[in-house]
Amino acid sequence: MADQGAADPGNNNNNKPEASEGTIIKVTVKTPKDKEEIAIAEDASVTQFKEEISRRFKAKQDQLVLIFAGKILKDGDSLSQHGIKDGLTVHLVIKTAHKAADGGSTSASSSTSTQAGSTSTSNPGTNPSTTTGSTGSAPPPTQTPNILTGFGDLGGLAGLGMGSANFMELQQQMQRQLMSNPEMLSQIMENPLVQNMMSNPDLMRQMIMANPQMQQLMERNPEISHMLNNPELMRQTMELARNPAMMQEMMRNQDRALSNLESIPGGYNALRRMYTDIQEPMFSAAREQVSVRNTSLHSYSESGAQPSRTENREPLPNPWGPPTSSNPSESGGGSTGSSSTTAGTTPSVSNPLGINPGSLGNGMFNSPGMQSLLQQISENPQLMQNMLSAPYMRSMMQSLAQNPELASQVLMNNPLFAGNQQLQEQFRAQLPIFLQQMQNPEALSVMTNPRAMQALMQIQQGLQTLQTEAPGLMPSLMPGGIPGIPTGGAMPTENPASSPSSAGTNIAQQQLMHQMLQMFAGGGGGGGSTQTPEVRFQSQLDQLNAMGFINREANLQALIATGGDINAAIERLLGSQPS
Amino acid sequence: MDQTDSYPVKLYVYDLSRGMARQLSASMLGRHIDGIWHTGVVVHGKEHYFGGSTGITNCPPGGTLLGPPDSVVDMGSTEVPEDLFKEYLTSLGESKYRGANYNLFENNCNTFSSEVAQFLTGRKIPSYITDLPSDILATPFGQALRPFLDSMVINPGGNNLAGQ
Repeated sequence: MADQGAADPGNNNNNKPEASEGTIIKVTVKTPKDKEEIAIAEDASVTQFKEEISRRFKAKQDQLVLIFAGKILKDGDSLSQHGIKDGLTVHLVIKTAHKAADGGSTSASSSTSTQAGSTSTSNPGTNPSTTTGSTGSAPPPTQTPNILTGFGDLGGLAGLGMGSANFMELQQQMQRQLMSNPEMLSQIMENPLVQNMMSNPDLMRQMIMANPQMQQLMERNPEISHMLNNPELMRQTMELARNPAMMQEMMRNQDRALSNLESIPGGYNALRRMYTDIQEPMFSAAREQVSVRNTSLHSYSESGAQPSRTENREPLPNPWGPPTSSNPSESGGGSTGSSSTTAGTTPSVSNPLGINPGSLGNGMFNSPGMQSLLQQISENPQLMQNMLSAPYMRSMMQSLAQNPELASQVLMNNPLFAGNQQLQEQFRAQLPIFLQQMQNPEALSVMTNPRAMQALMQIQQGLQTLQTEAPGLMPSLMPGGIPGIPTGGAMPTENPASSPSSAGTNIAQQQLMHQMLQMFAGGGGGGGSTQTPEVRFQSQLDQLNAMGFINREANLQALIATGGDINAAIERLLGSQPS
Repeated sequence: MDQTDSYPVKLYVYDLSRGMARQLSASMLGRHIDGIWHTGVVVHGKEHYFGGSTGITNCPPGGTLLGPPDSVVDMGSTEVPEDLFKEYLTSLGESKYRGANYNLFENNCNTFSSEVAQFLTGRKIPSYITDLPSDILATPFGQALRPFLDSMVINPGGNNLAGQ
């Protein structure tokens, strides 16, 4: 089959098409490192081609493997058989004589040094038996033999995703896996091996200190190294890590303590500083999904004028409650001079986004685009976390906050807002607050909490439905009457009297609405609501629980009686007059 | 004729923005892009891709932090056996695709996938993927962000194969 070209390999030369009828074609031969153009007769055989190549690339012919269009060119074939024509590219791999050289030795050496006790952490619950190390470095089985294949068939472990070469890699991998699978953390914690290790504070300290980011962090904040050196504290932290419920408790306490700080003049700045110095590097240490090499981005000054907040006078406003008119007036002063009173709300602790519940119904969050965005966000907490904690995001927010012009430009081009003047107005007014809030760590933690986002969405939906069903109920909230987009909410036809499109402020309608609400609350869904009150008030129940009202029955009753209004429910529970 | 094995080759495509690009790109960039694409080539039972700082890495298909791919493109099949392929990757990893050579615009995961796909099957990957950097750079927003995007690397996580 191979006799198209001359049988004598020496016959074919670069330049002279001796004894072959074909024309010379120029074929590009490409190796991973190199590229050469080779002229060869059109009807030459692969062998001849390889000859030429071996001369050019200075390699032995039997080391050459030619690939074209996914096929390996065998010596017996001819070029034209494979359709190799002038100007086409053929791939070449030059087989090295010893595959053992690369890859094997380096991974072996680095792994042996890191075996000392450190590999156990890198093997979360999935692989408790590999304490004798060597997991990290076993290369994929088809690779060359190295020291570690002697340990038995640990080569297969590489497939578990543990095949990286050194401890840092392992750590990073583990972090990544942790991020992608939240349950893994609890699994890990339950692994007795891990627990054992965790109860040894020395080891933990060593491990933590070995992480370069931690080291950086420690340089910046010597307090952290103090903390690490205090065994008592370490043990407590370990306990916490082991027990997620306790952890949440503590976080909550901390949050509340922090929020008290907020109302002290200058407190906001201190908080901010704290966040910048401590949390942010920890975030970036933990979330290396998208890493920014240029760390100068981190240096942002203590900008953002402290929002002119005086002491927090109002009782923590209830973002879930029915929108009251008392809200806008107080906040009107606090917000940055926005003329539309309903648009702004003084950002405060429990309402970190400064969202006036009234405006939610017809505000920027109303459009379907935003809604689906929110839905996505609540479905994928990872997204939000990543988005917000990426350092570049923060500095972008920073610059946006400093330059409201830019921000409004960016946002005005957003097709969600285009064509809707009112939305634009509102949004523009809210913009500075909004942006500042984006930087408020409280806000960030709300946004990263999927349940919170879901709760917010539920609020919106509820409000929207309210709007369509009984627009008369909220006359103050519809400047210009932007109709809400109905979301097929849970407030069905129990209110036949008020037509959805009527915008009139009809007292009778309001009363009817109130009655309906009572009935609704009392009957627990008489008109065809699809959810039991327990489910509907789930988030409120959680809130009450968190506040310390542990009697679920009573909570539920109170919530039902007040129609989901937490503040009123609390007052009810405390025995005072319902408002 | 002796039979050579034929190994299927697939291209796993991921949208790094998880759909946000589709929604926000028109407003932020001024032009619509469907996603920020990351790709990996799946052959011989493993997914291979080029990540910043780790270089060429492989992992079980769909095993990166990104989870399962958003779409899978069938690239055909190849005769290249696994050990030969590994050699090839090693060579690549020592030359053009070292971890340090990662450049988000010019030498990124998609460049790698394109080259590997070409090698394995002779076909290129869909152009909407390889055109992405130039599409973005063509917008003023992209230009403005360029200096800082240049320093970004994307690394979905896996285990290290070659060339560092």
